[in-house]
Amino acid sequence: MRFVLEFDNVTKEYRSFASKRRLRALDGFSLTVEAGEIFGFLGPNGAGKSTAIHLAMGFMRPTSGSGRLLGERFGHPATRRRVGFLAESVALYHRRAERLVRFYGALNGMGGTHLETRARQVLEIVGLRDHANRNAGKFSRGMLQRVGLAQAMVNDPDLLILDEPTSALDPLARVMVRELLLGARNAGKTIFLSSHLLSEVELVCDRVAVLHRGRLARLGRTADLLQVGEQTEIVVRAIAVKHFDGAVARDGVVSFSVPAHTQRAALEKVWNLGGEVVSVNPLRRSLEEIFLEVTADPQSPPFAGNQ
Amino acid sequence: MKPVLLIAVNFAREQRWPILTLLLWVLLLAFLGLVTDIHRQREDLLFVFKQDAIYVLAFSVFFGGSAIYNERRSRRILSVLSKAVGRQQYLSGLVLGVTLACAVYCFALGLTGSWTLGETGFPISHLWFLMVCLVAACMLAGTVALMFSTFLNPFFAAGATAMVLGLPALAGQFLGPQWGYVIPVWELGTTVVNSSFRSPGTASWFPVVLAAAETLAFWLLSARIFAYVDIAVAVE
Repeated sequence: MRFVLEFDNVTKEYRSFASKRRLRALDGFSLTVEAGEIFGFLGPNGAGKSTAIHLAMGFMRPTSGSGRLLGERFGHPATRRRVGFLAESVALYHRRAERLVRFYGALNGMGGTHLETRARQVLEIVGLRDHANRNAGKFSRGMLQRVGLAQAMVNDPDLLILDEPTSALDPLARVMVRELLLGARNAGKTIFLSSHLLSEVELVCDRVAVLHRGRLARLGRTADLLQVGEQTEIVVRAIAVKHFDGAVARDGVVSFSVPAHTQRAALEKVWNLGGEVVSVNPLRRSLEEIFLEVTADPQSPPFAGNQ
Repeated sequence: MKPVLLIAVNFAREQRWPILTLLLWVLLLAFLGLVTDIHRQREDLLFVFKQDAIYVLAFSVFFGGSAIYNERRSRRILSVLSKAVGRQQYLSGLVLGVTLACAVYCFALGLTGSWTLGETGFPISHLWFLMVCLVAACMLAGTVALMFSTFLNPFFAAGATAMVLGLPALAGQFLGPQWGYVIPVWELGTTVVNSSFRSPGTASWFPVVLAAAETLAFWLLSARIFAYVDIAVAVE
C-alpha cells in the first residue's frame, strides 16, 4: 500500500437546518499521502483543514467524492486501530493521566500489562511521567495537549493525524514534539500534520499542501516549494550597492540575487571590483511567504452560497 | 463488547454528581426510616419511596437526551470515536451507561426500601420486582431520549421523548388499556405508583420484556440515524 491517506474529489457542504444556506468547506479536494512521510497540511482558518481531517477519521461523511484511510474507506472502525489522532483544542475526560491513556488504549483493543507499560512509556515520551497520577482536569492547556499526544500514540499507530499538535506548547515542548515526529518517521510511521506554525512545518515536513477556500492551492515537496526558480542569492562584502540591480546593504554586507546561469559572471564582477564573497546560495523563500501568496489569491470561490 | 463496557462505565462515572444528588433522596427515605415510627408512618414512607422512584425516570430522560450533546459540545466524542469504536458500539455504550446509572440508583432505593418498607409489611420480593420495572422503564425512556438526541438538542429531545412516552398512555385512557403497552414506560411507572400495602400489585413480566424488546428496537433506530449524522462540526 503506497498511499496511507487518499482524498478523491471530495466535496463537503455544511447545510443549515433552519435556512437553506450551504457552506462549502471542501470543493473537489483530492490528495494522497504516501507511507513513511511527514505531510504538512496548511491553510488559513476556515480553509477546510479540520473538515478534511474529520472526514478522514469518519466523523462526518463527504457530500460527494470518497476517500481511503490505510486502504479502507473513511469511517471503517477497525482501521482506526492503526491510527493515532489528536484533535484541535483537545478535550479529554477528567481523570488521572495514566488511567486516561489506558482508557483510550483499551478502546483500541489493548489490554493487560502491555497497555500499562505502553501508557507509562508514552507519558514519559511526552514528558508527563511525574504527572501520571495527576487528574488531567487540573492540567494546563499545554499539559493537556501532551496527554492528547500520549493517547494518540498509545496504540503505536502506523498513521498519526495531528491537528495543531503544538499550538499550546512552549518552545521546549515544541522541540520535543519535533523530535518525536522525526523519530516516528524514522520508525516508518506516517504523520499527517495540520499546523499554523509554519516554521515547524518547514523544519519537519517532507511534503506540504496548502488548502485555501476548500481547494488545494499548493502541493509539493517542501524543498521544491521553498526554492525560487533558478535564482541565486549572493552575499558579498566591500563593494558598493550601485554595482548590482536590486542589491541591498545591511549589517556591512551587500546581498543581491541573480539568475543561476549568470551566477559565475556576477561572482567574477565582484572579484574584479575587489569585493569578497560571503555566501552563494540558491534563493529560498519561507513557507510563510508561500502561505501569504496563496491566501492573498482572490481566485477560488469562497462559498457555494445559496443553492 | 469491551469498548461498549468501557464507554458505559465511563458515562456512569461522568454522571456521578447527578447520581449522587439523586441518592440524597434515597438517604432522605433512610433518614425517615430512622427517625420516625415506621409502622405508624408507613403510608408516608411508601409515598416518599414512590416519589424517589419517579425521579429516576425523569433523570433517565435527562441522561439519555443530553449524553451525545454534552460529548459533542465538549469535543470529547472525537477522542473516543477516533479509536476503533463504531458508532453503533458508541450508542450501545451510552444506552448501557444510562441503564447502569439508573440501576445504581434503583439498587440503592431497593435496599433502603427493603429495610424501611419491608419492616412495615410490604412484600420485599415485590419491591424488587418494582425496581426491575423501574430499571426497564428507565432503559427504554433513556434510549428513546438518546434516539431523539442524535438529531435534536437536549431540550427538544426531552420534549419529543415525553410526547412519545405519553401518547400511548393518553391513548390508553381513551381507546383502551392495551394502548398503554405500545411503549410501556407509563405502564411500568404506574405499576410502581399504584402499588400499596393493601394491594402491592401483581408481578406481570410482560411490560418488562416488552420494554427490553423496544429498547433494542429504538437502539437500532438510533444507530441507523446516528450513522448518517455529522458528529463534528466545523471548528474553524
